[in-house]
Amino acid sequence: MPIAVFGLNHNTAPIEVRERLFVSEETIPRLVRELQESGVDENIVLSTCNRTEFYFSCKNLDSALDKFYQALSRHFSIEKEWLEKYTYLLTDEDTYRHLFLVASGLDSMVVGEPQILGQVKDAYRLATDCNTSGFFLDKVFHKTFNVAKRIRTETKVGYNPVSISAMAIELAKKIFGELKDKKTLVIGAGEMCEIALRYFKKEGVGDIYITNRTFHNAQKLADETTGIPRPFNDLQDLLEKVDMILSSTGSERPLISRELVSVVMKKRKQKPLFFIDIAVPRDIEPSVNDLENVYLYDIDDLKELSQQHLSDRLAESEKARSIVDEEVKKFSQWLRQLDKNPLISNIYEKVEEIRSRELKKILQKNKNTDDETMKNMDLLTKSIVNKLVHPHVTMIKENGSPAILELMKKLFRLEDDDEQDVDSWHKG
Amino acid sequence: MFILFLIALCLYLVSTIFYLLFLAIDKKGIEALGHFSLLSGFIVHFISTCFRYFQAGYTPITNLHESLSFLSLCMAGFFLFLKRSYKISILGSIIVPFLSLVFIWALWLPSDIKPLAPILQSYWLPVHTIFAFIGNSIFFISFFVSILYLSLERGIKRKKFSPISTRFPSLEVLDSINYRCMSYGFPFLTIGIITGSLWAGMAWGSYWSWDPKETWSLITWIVYAILIHNRLTIGWRGRKTAYMMIAGFFSILFTFLGINFLVGGLHSYL
Repeated sequence: MPIAVFGLNHNTAPIEVRERLFVSEETIPRLVRELQESGVDENIVLSTCNRTEFYFSCKNLDSALDKFYQALSRHFSIEKEWLEKYTYLLTDEDTYRHLFLVASGLDSMVVGEPQILGQVKDAYRLATDCNTSGFFLDKVFHKTFNVAKRIRTETKVGYNPVSISAMAIELAKKIFGELKDKKTLVIGAGEMCEIALRYFKKEGVGDIYITNRTFHNAQKLADETTGIPRPFNDLQDLLEKVDMILSSTGSERPLISRELVSVVMKKRKQKPLFFIDIAVPRDIEPSVNDLENVYLYDIDDLKELSQQHLSDRLAESEKARSIVDEEVKKFSQWLRQLDKNPLISNIYEKVEEIRSRELKKILQKNKNTDDETMKNMDLLTKSIVNKLVHPHVTMIKENGSPAILELMKKLFRLEDDDEQDVDSWHKG
Repeated sequence: MFILFLIALCLYLVSTIFYLLFLAIDKKGIEALGHFSLLSGFIVHFISTCFRYFQAGYTPITNLHESLSFLSLCMAGFFLFLKRSYKISILGSIIVPFLSLVFIWALWLPSDIKPLAPILQSYWLPVHTIFAFIGNSIFFISFFVSILYLSLERGIKRKKFSPISTRFPSLEVLDSINYRCMSYGFPFLTIGIITGSLWAGMAWGSYWSWDPKETWSLITWIVYAILIHNRLTIGWRGRKTAYMMIAGFFSILFTFLGINFLVGGLHSYL
């Protein structure tokens, strides 16, 4: 049974094209049903701002593909040629290799970003709700979650932060350790401030004060998030009180001078202060960083650090790729095992093993059994076992669907380690 | 009895190996093994020191062998004590090798028990030496804490981080450990000096004779006194504390070893 993925991403298609093929969470159920009707056996749709991908499985790929394209161009009302120009089609092994890479963030624009795994899980859930995912895609996706988890724990591909807010928190932790008893001041009420503020809150930073030259805007931002608004005139008092300052205003001249910080530090008895200045032009005089126990990072410092972290992630992604290779190989092997003929002989081997073991036990207990009885017992057990197994084997021969094969493997406890892996994830 | 010391040394060395391995492989299990062998080493070392006390009949801090051994014992003990309240496993990777080296040096030196010089036969011996050496070992630990502090602080200021620094405790934690070292170490050092002076008064007839060891221990005491005073009044924290701790460490080192090897004087039996 072939598995395939058809789709586009930020590498193959410009944003105008990606926009056209974007599928919102609300329309996914309708789309997967439409695609299902076009003749594929199973399908899952993954759509994020950087990619739209259709995972499907069908008995005959060539004949199904045409109808599948038609269904797609009908849904998105676009030309078939246009679809071919920006998209890729991967089959079999390449399909799950691709999905493993996608889910673990290795195919993302920002390598190692963690959101994609959640999006893949959502896509899978939506398809299961509509019953369009079946035996094969279930297995592929469960394995994918497994691989993504393994990569997250065994490599540092998502380890160092690259976003401004996350780096600010990371640095603050280097200075202060615990942040829940630390106070933060946000200067400005723009979008960057709001993003940072929400992130700080999520990370469990203690009290957050907001100040802005137009007090009204500070108050508005405080209402929308959960900060404490303070008038701009209180700046010096606030600097004495807080530990971390994030500044992002449109001011043309620095708001915080070296002299001011120097005075504040004396009042604070040199308790450390951490400034993050993401404004251009800068809000805080750069020489503030020269003061003792004061640390200042401006937007360029953060960008440079972000670049460095990104290249660390790229270096780590080599390790992650070799994990993907390893898992692809294991998964391919497992898929091959689903072939029905080996299964039948495996079942016979297994039952024969049980039969001969039990027979031996009995014969050991009754040492003075004569040859005649022994022979009869052997025949008897053989015929019982064969009669019990026969219906199962017939079922496999007549209806070798993967689900039946899978069921048989479970019934006769023929699962291998890899299989148990997937199962334990499923339970967890 | 010497065999017990050797067992303690082996345990310290095993702990050193695990802590150095922990530097390369960031796994909790490795650290736990290092911690466990350090703790066992400490216990065996403590027992063997008690044995020596009973065998010799006096507090075994009377020569270089004994005092180095006692110093490494105190360092191991104080490090284990600090580990109870701070996540400072990475510090083990410098402190454990260091105290193992100190202990190796101690065992290298002649360790035979000799009759005690008459001037040392006093009840002041245990009080003076134990206080002084506990104080010293606490400040030895804070020396390494300060080095960690300075290297992390430098990284944050210059915006360049070494890969290992991501595993350091935060500046605030390192500084608060230094503060704790200060508030434990200073009283011990002070009592060590005062009891020494009282003992000198009784043994030599003069409380203070400006012998080089006395002078240098006073200098050490002044370094730490300045630090504590300025920390409490004008907030000498962070880098200044770390620099003073390092200065204090070298001052202790000179008082303890430099005087014996370079200068001599009344304390030269140590």
